[in-house]
Amino acid sequence: MGNVLELRDVKKTYKPGFIPKPKEVLKGVSFSVAEGEIFGYLGPNGAGKTSTIKCVLGLVYPDAGTISLFGRSPLDPRAKDKLGFLPENPYFYEYLTGREFLDFYAQLFRVEKSERAGRIDRLIKTVDLERAAGLPLRKYSRGMLQRIGLAQALINEPTFVILDEPLGGLDPLGRKEIRDIILGLRDAGKTVLFTSHILQDIEMICDHVAIIVKGRILNQGRLSELVSEKILFTEITVSGIAEEDLRAFGDCVSVRDGRALLKVPIEDDVPKVLDLVRERGGRIYSLVPRTQTLEDIFVDTVAKQ
Amino acid sequence: MVKRKLVFPAVLLLGLGAIAGLKITLDAMTRVKQPGAGIVYLPAGPAVKAATFGYSSFMADIAYVWAIQYYGNSDIPDRLNNFNRIFTVIADLDPKWVDPYLTAGLIAHYDFKDPELTLKMYDEGAVRNPKEWIFPFEAGHYCALPPLRDYERARAYYKIAMNIPGAPAITKRLYADASFKTMDYKTSWEVWREVYETETNPEIKKIASNHLYQVKAAVDIAVLKVALSKFREQYGRAARNLEELATARVIGSVPADFDGKDYVYDPQTGDIKTAVIPWKR
Amino acid sequence: MTILVIARHTFKEAVRDRILYLLLFFSALSIVLARVLAVLTVGDRVKVVKDVGLASIGFFGALMAILIGTGLVYKEIEKRTIFTLISKPIRRFEFLLGKYLGLIWTLAVMIAAMTVIYLIVVFLHTFTIEFRMVLAVLFIFLELILITAVAILFSSFSTPILSSLFALSFYLIGHFSWSLETLIKKTPPGTRRTLLRGLYAILPDLENFNIKTEVVQNLPLPAGLWLGAIGYSAVYTAFVLVLAVWIFRRRDFI
Repeated sequence: MGNVLELRDVKKTYKPGFIPKPKEVLKGVSFSVAEGEIFGYLGPNGAGKTSTIKCVLGLVYPDAGTISLFGRSPLDPRAKDKLGFLPENPYFYEYLTGREFLDFYAQLFRVEKSERAGRIDRLIKTVDLERAAGLPLRKYSRGMLQRIGLAQALINEPTFVILDEPLGGLDPLGRKEIRDIILGLRDAGKTVLFTSHILQDIEMICDHVAIIVKGRILNQGRLSELVSEKILFTEITVSGIAEEDLRAFGDCVSVRDGRALLKVPIEDDVPKVLDLVRERGGRIYSLVPRTQTLEDIFVDTVAKQ
Repeated sequence: MVKRKLVFPAVLLLGLGAIAGLKITLDAMTRVKQPGAGIVYLPAGPAVKAATFGYSSFMADIAYVWAIQYYGNSDIPDRLNNFNRIFTVIADLDPKWVDPYLTAGLIAHYDFKDPELTLKMYDEGAVRNPKEWIFPFEAGHYCALPPLRDYERARAYYKIAMNIPGAPAITKRLYADASFKTMDYKTSWEVWREVYETETNPEIKKIASNHLYQVKAAVDIAVLKVALSKFREQYGRAARNLEELATARVIGSVPADFDGKDYVYDPQTGDIKTAVIPWKR
Repeated sequence: MTILVIARHTFKEAVRDRILYLLLFFSALSIVLARVLAVLTVGDRVKVVKDVGLASIGFFGALMAILIGTGLVYKEIEKRTIFTLISKPIRRFEFLLGKYLGLIWTLAVMIAAMTVIYLIVVFLHTFTIEFRMVLAVLFIFLELILITAVAILFSSFSTPILSSLFALSFYLIGHFSWSLETLIKKTPPGTRRTLLRGLYAILPDLENFNIKTEVVQNLPLPAGLWLGAIGYSAVYTAFVLVLAVWIFRRRDFI
């Protein structure tokens, strides 16, 4: 399994307009996306996620470093034959209908005329826009635009799909839908790279993660390797035990309605707490072992800066 | 890699060369070059000013420059047709601008040899700019010059001109001279007298006195000639000398010239002349 | 092929632009108003109608080219639709040329419409369909080909307002080339004159596309003018487009 995308030491400084105050957005970014995986590109707003994507697509020319997309330079049109891209906040041609819109891109990919209509219909069905396919895009809601955007990204039956902040601004149901679609893509054998600043989403579906902060990759690797299975502490919610007695095992984070939330740092103390509760005739409401989350890693990484 | 970078600039330079070459080729093709000929279709009067959206003096400039080129090009036939119209339009666009009227006058006079058209141009200028002395001044010249040689009209123009503040001093003298030529000796005398008295420049004073001499001579000679014919009537023969006229009471006294010298009378021909040529005094 | 896809797409987009129809309306209006102008004029009335009509087509055609052309590329960049587009297998110059061709196509349709109106108005005066006028329109179209390229050039790096100003300046400079010629004649020979001469040769001379006088007054066209005009338009347009492609190539779309 080769690498669909490889970046090596990519640097970019923006020199905007007449004010010669250069802004270094990428300070030597390197990572690879292997075939068939879901790659999460994580970072706070302004870290350089979108700039990286622009370099990969050939919208922006890096000052240094190399980028290899399907083994070719981003400037080579052939590199994009099997690429699908969904930008953040998609803006599309307002006056075209959904169907005309997809047809336009299909033509750019030189999809055979005979094949075009069928493919467009299938995609419209997949993204659930059958009712709106004949409406002009300016009448679409944000969610609909997102979906037609996704359809457009898949119009050429790509093997590698790049999604820039695909989950931004969606309600929980919408987010689940997109997550499912991404997983579906992976199951179909496609490679997916998506950027996000929402950690939970990345945690849920990614195989591989890179964290970029202020133009530098601070941490990257397989998710399973980054996030250890180590239990940090256990949260136990109990009632019927006096606070002073609980304090021996950990901190009472909160006490409400007679229930105490206790944070137990030492794993071996957990059975002792359980015994205590049983002895005193109290009740246990929940017991949650907290492992290290991506958020923890992220906060750690950023804090080290 | 160095080669690739040079491809674009090289192609562009080649392109410029081709453009220049084509332009020269195209220029060589003779065409009736009347850029901006659409001016002929402009309506005169307030409409044209409105059409220029407040840029009327600028448009006047452009139209003027074009007109000069257009009328300067003797290859173009029928230039005269719209001459009046074109300059009227320019005048409407910028009435206070002096040059177009003057140029129009020049063109009308030297190119088209149409004196009435020339005067019309100056009149237009004068009408719109009564405070400009140049219009009646120049108009006076054109009346005095051939082919018109109309001193009466010249005189009228000079009179207007000399009363406009800022007019050059010579205007008055021209007026006096034109008056002389129309035989209005009284006015001529008065004005030359005025010039003589007020002028400080000795050369001009001399000229004024020469003119005064001339005017007096003209008046005196006319009077003498009347007396001579009266004498002939009465006595049936020509007078032998001028004193005879006084003796015969045909004339009060024999006038002397401006310098106090006698006039020269030739009994054979009946001619009366001045003792000297006025300019050689 | 890709260029044609973009061109077709651009045509669809341009044809929906309301400015186009506004300008078409004013052009038609001014062709018809030539009639009014004729009444006020000293001179051949029919000539006025013909001349003003052609002038309208030329002027409004240029306005269309400039107003729409200057927004064409800029809009795609500003609205970020170019992001999705460049992610497809398309080269930057294909995008630019496609936009250009699409606009030319649009202009051709508009000019054709204006010409029809014009011929009708002229017909009402002379009771003949004066096909000779179409020659003048063809030359006008050669001029528009160049102006559109200039509009696209500026659109690829400047805002619509500035681009329009630049393109309009190009148009004005192009029509006042003769005044530079006059200036050269009056300059004594020397470095200054040579420089002016060079400038004169490369600055656009849009009067080369102006055969209105010849057509309206039925004068003969000099031999080679056709070829010369087509050549001039083609070479200058190619120059401008190459310049546009060059500038567009290394642009970062932030």
